Amino acid sequence: MPAVKGDGMRGLAVFISDIRNCKSREAEIKRINKELANIRSKFKGDKTLDGYQKKKYVCKLLFIFLLGHDIDFGHMEAVNLLSSNKYTEKQIGYLFISVLVSASSDLMKLVVQSIKNDIVSRNPVHVCLALQCIANIGSRDMAEAFNRDIPKLLVSGDTIDSVKQSAALCLLRLLRTAPDLIQLGEWASRVIHLLNDQHMGVVTAAASLIEALVKRSPEEYKGCVSLAVSRLSRIVTSSYTDLQDYTYYFVPAPWLSVKLLRLLQNYPPPEDPAVRTRLTECLETILNKAQEPPKSKKVQHSNAKNAVLFEAINLIIHMDSDPNLLVRACNQLGQFLSHRETNLRYLALESMCLLATSEFSHEAVKKHQETVINALKTERDVSVRQRAVDLLYAMCDRTNAEDIVAEMLTYLETADYSIREEMVLKVAILAEKYAVDYTWYVDTILNLIRLAGDYVSEEVWYRVIQIVINRDDVQGYAAKTVFEALQAPACHENMVKVGGYILGEFGNLIAGDHRSSPIVQFQLLHSKYHLCIPSTRGLLLSTYVKFINLFPEIKAQIQEILRNDNNIRNPDVEIQQRAIEYLQLTSVTSTDVLATVLEEMPPFPERESSILAKLKKKKPGAAEDPDAAGGKSSPPTVASKPMPEISVNASYQPQGASGGSADLLGLSSSAPPAAAPASNDTGCLVDVFDMLGTGASPTSNGLTAAADENYKSATTPDLEAGPDKIHEFVCRNNGVIFENDLLQIGIKSEYKQNLGRVGMFYGNKTSVPFSNFTAEVSLPGELSSQLMAQAKPVDSQVEAGAQKQQLVNIECVTDFTVPPVLVINFLYNGAQQHMTVKMPVMVNKFLEPAEMDAATFFQRWKNLSAPAQECQKIFKAKPPMDGEQTKSKLLCFGLSILEDVDPNPENFVSAGVLHTRNQQIGVLLRLEPNSQAQMYRLTIRASKDAISTTLCELLESQF
Amino acid sequence: MIKAVLVFNNHGKPRVSKFYQHFPEDTQQQIIRETFHLVSKRDDNVCNFLEGGTRLNSLIGGSDYRLIYRHYATLYFVFCVDSSESELGILDLIQVFVETLDKCFENVCELDLIFHVDKVHYILQEMVMGGMVLETNMTEILTRIEEQSKIEKSEAGIAGAPGRAISAVKEMNLPQKIKDIKLPDLPSIGSLKF
Repeated sequence: MPAVKGDGMRGLAVFISDIRNCKSREAEIKRINKELANIRSKFKGDKTLDGYQKKKYVCKLLFIFLLGHDIDFGHMEAVNLLSSNKYTEKQIGYLFISVLVSASSDLMKLVVQSIKNDIVSRNPVHVCLALQCIANIGSRDMAEAFNRDIPKLLVSGDTIDSVKQSAALCLLRLLRTAPDLIQLGEWASRVIHLLNDQHMGVVTAAASLIEALVKRSPEEYKGCVSLAVSRLSRIVTSSYTDLQDYTYYFVPAPWLSVKLLRLLQNYPPPEDPAVRTRLTECLETILNKAQEPPKSKKVQHSNAKNAVLFEAINLIIHMDSDPNLLVRACNQLGQFLSHRETNLRYLALESMCLLATSEFSHEAVKKHQETVINALKTERDVSVRQRAVDLLYAMCDRTNAEDIVAEMLTYLETADYSIREEMVLKVAILAEKYAVDYTWYVDTILNLIRLAGDYVSEEVWYRVIQIVINRDDVQGYAAKTVFEALQAPACHENMVKVGGYILGEFGNLIAGDHRSSPIVQFQLLHSKYHLCIPSTRGLLLSTYVKFINLFPEIKAQIQEILRNDNNIRNPDVEIQQRAIEYLQLTSVTSTDVLATVLEEMPPFPERESSILAKLKKKKPGAAEDPDAAGGKSSPPTVASKPMPEISVNASYQPQGASGGSADLLGLSSSAPPAAAPASNDTGCLVDVFDMLGTGASPTSNGLTAAADENYKSATTPDLEAGPDKIHEFVCRNNGVIFENDLLQIGIKSEYKQNLGRVGMFYGNKTSVPFSNFTAEVSLPGELSSQLMAQAKPVDSQVEAGAQKQQLVNIECVTDFTVPPVLVINFLYNGAQQHMTVKMPVMVNKFLEPAEMDAATFFQRWKNLSAPAQECQKIFKAKPPMDGEQTKSKLLCFGLSILEDVDPNPENFVSAGVLHTRNQQIGVLLRLEPNSQAQMYRLTIRASKDAISTTLCELLESQF
Repeated sequence: MIKAVLVFNNHGKPRVSKFYQHFPEDTQQQIIRETFHLVSKRDDNVCNFLEGGTRLNSLIGGSDYRLIYRHYATLYFVFCVDSSESELGILDLIQVFVETLDKCFENVCELDLIFHVDKVHYILQEMVMGGMVLETNMTEILTRIEEQSKIEKSEAGIAGAPGRAISAVKEMNLPQKIKDIKLPDLPSIGSLKF
């Protein structure tokens, strides 16, 4: 009898067989519904079920769930199984819970209770079940309930190995869920020393935990470096018989080796020379072993060996300090590039991408250019081709840019659809970055549009226009080239846009040639007009009006087009309005005014390439400067994030981060007049319209202003803080308040009376240091007189992966309504980053609870009866209503809970004092939950006007 | 970190699914379907790692993950992991998982996974916990599984006892059995001696 088959459950087997015999999906659903009804009636029935039956039914439910059907009952029965003293029943109960019950379920309290019993059980298998359940669900509540027990289990001498292993990973899970709740304190060093444990399984689990701890506070766990190195050294130098069971296909402890090598990648090369030498020896040994003949032909042997080897290479690249090792690593990867195992080719390309960023090995990587280009052409697997593209991008520099770009363009024609957009971005960036001769750049981009027009995003064609406008040496060439490109019978719409724009600006430069005379240019463009979507037509209309300025001789033909019913009465408002306005403009104004309004675009201010920003957005970290040495990119991925939502018209949201209308000359018909910028050009245009008194609403933006607006929206504007998280911190003092791909900001704060100490933590999530880092607290408007905030200076350099701390002292002078704002500036990869984050400092932080008896409370309540002193809100409960949670929220909010004051025990009555420098303000609260209607009525009275409203609003967001 | 362990057959029928990151139930099913869609169209001799497409990214929420899979006869074993895991290491872990299943079920086949879904989960639990590798040593894993089976058997022994007693009673065909009772021959009275 095999180990686990055991005594099966007959009913279960019959049911599964039935399902498998179902001929159709309908039959299957019918059978399942029958079974669900059966189980439901069994659970609901009067007969109490024994453990075996419950277990059987729960198993059936699990099976049904796996087939993709919702299970909306049985949870309670599963929870009941947890308290069974039979292992198998407990086990199936836990299994059901971890597969089917979510952390937010109401049942979690009961589950936590059961775990509490099991975790202190003398029976280690019960403890393991409980730990597994915590690790599977890992909710915040669990972190709160077990943040003492689990570390104890982990470091205690009596704990057996299997429990220790589980405890380590369980703690890791909780650390991820609620980093603020897990503090090891004095146990930190005992946890580090688990790396010396006898049992390899314990060491492996501990290494995972320690890595997470290290990421949080590298300094505190620095001691793990030497321990990890010596452990690694012992494994690497052992023979495969030493470690017996942990030897996998002749490779000693491969998983643990990988973990240790990863752990070491969190630190710079060890400072202690002895440790450093030992580590170098390890890495050399691993590289040497790769050259030895394999001990087994099995793929598992080579896999395990190479898993360690690749991780060692990653560590070598990370340390980036030993040229000898780097070159050896590069040669090793070079061998893999032509290995017959696809997996190894894939990984080699990926690791080489990292190597290419190191100044020591960049040249060595370039030697493999031929092989990589070959991979692009011959690899059968798109994943591998993708890696080849990434590597080509990373190894590109001025010397090989033309070759690489040419190869990528050739490949683009046959490239997989999934990677085209990204390739287009990469080609565009390389072409711009390494262009010596800008005609080459223009050719490349136009080629891109021709070959893969659909994948050319707005950013790419915006960028080519920006560059052409800013460089007068290339303008004539660009005009000529787009003119030629437009002659193709079928052109991509993006080509029409670029062509239209460039000819509108620089068509005069080629008008001397009779083959591209004004009327020829105009007719060529207009032959495309009817095939284009409205936004492109709008752009072309702008080109036409610019033509009137450039080439007065074709004014009549153009006005004819504008006057055409197809335009002037076009159902699309934008086209209609442009046609009307342009027609008016060109009929009424003098040539001087026309020349001023339609003058050539001024150069764009130099900013970071919008394309680079887009690529970064697609794959954070992977779009680093190809020749920036020392950088290390996170593994790139094919996939693109969904495009940011595109606003209909950029002028609606001048600050919007996404490109608006596909029109650089966008004249917005609907922008609010108040937004008119007071520049001279604009003033002129507005005057023109005022003078004309046209019926159409005057456009608020001048041509240049509008274009600039669009330009702004095409590049990345300042980083804005993400969704407003501030409400999460009304009742919390610690946590992460902001996080994006680059930066994480955490806060820890404590308050006493009217004073507060706030620690801000800035974590650099990238692999590149931030420089010129500044963080300042800004008190906008009135707040500057209501609050005093004093921020200590913060180091201007934030190393990759490191965290910096800043202390802010705050004093509440008087009550306030808006929170202070944190303004952060730094340079990342040479690009200026700016962000503003609201600091979760609200007026309730300065509340302290007050105790009083019922008589006093009512007395004071009555005294505060002026209308301005009271605020009442009635609102719907968002999270489920829970008395205990409400209590804790009120306490965290800064108020007391006064028992036996309200005659209705369901209601909550609280009191507190708000401390400000100038005065102390009494606050009384009454909260009446109505569980039937799922509504709350909240009444707050305060001895100072308006405060009750502020507090009410803050508190309402919490329920 | 391992985000999910998925096993499905060549037709995309899920056989084991275990998510270490919380997803709503319908998202879980969509992830399984999408993963099957991606993996099943790949040849057998291409590499064992791949990135999900746009759709899978939006389901999983981000692109920091990779699918690492092996195809055995009728089953695909797919691990969805983030960038903190070694690809080859996970590939080997799949192998350990399958070898362990093979040891436990003796020549494991798809049917074993179907009829013993709970057992498969228990084996997986001994290897992966909360998304991290717990144990890789097969001997150790097997020992723990055997320990569990022993407990199960002993509990089945206790629990089974009353059941067996009842069925013994039920099986008795009393009237017939009474008829069948053969009384021992009484010694003839005549031979009695007083």
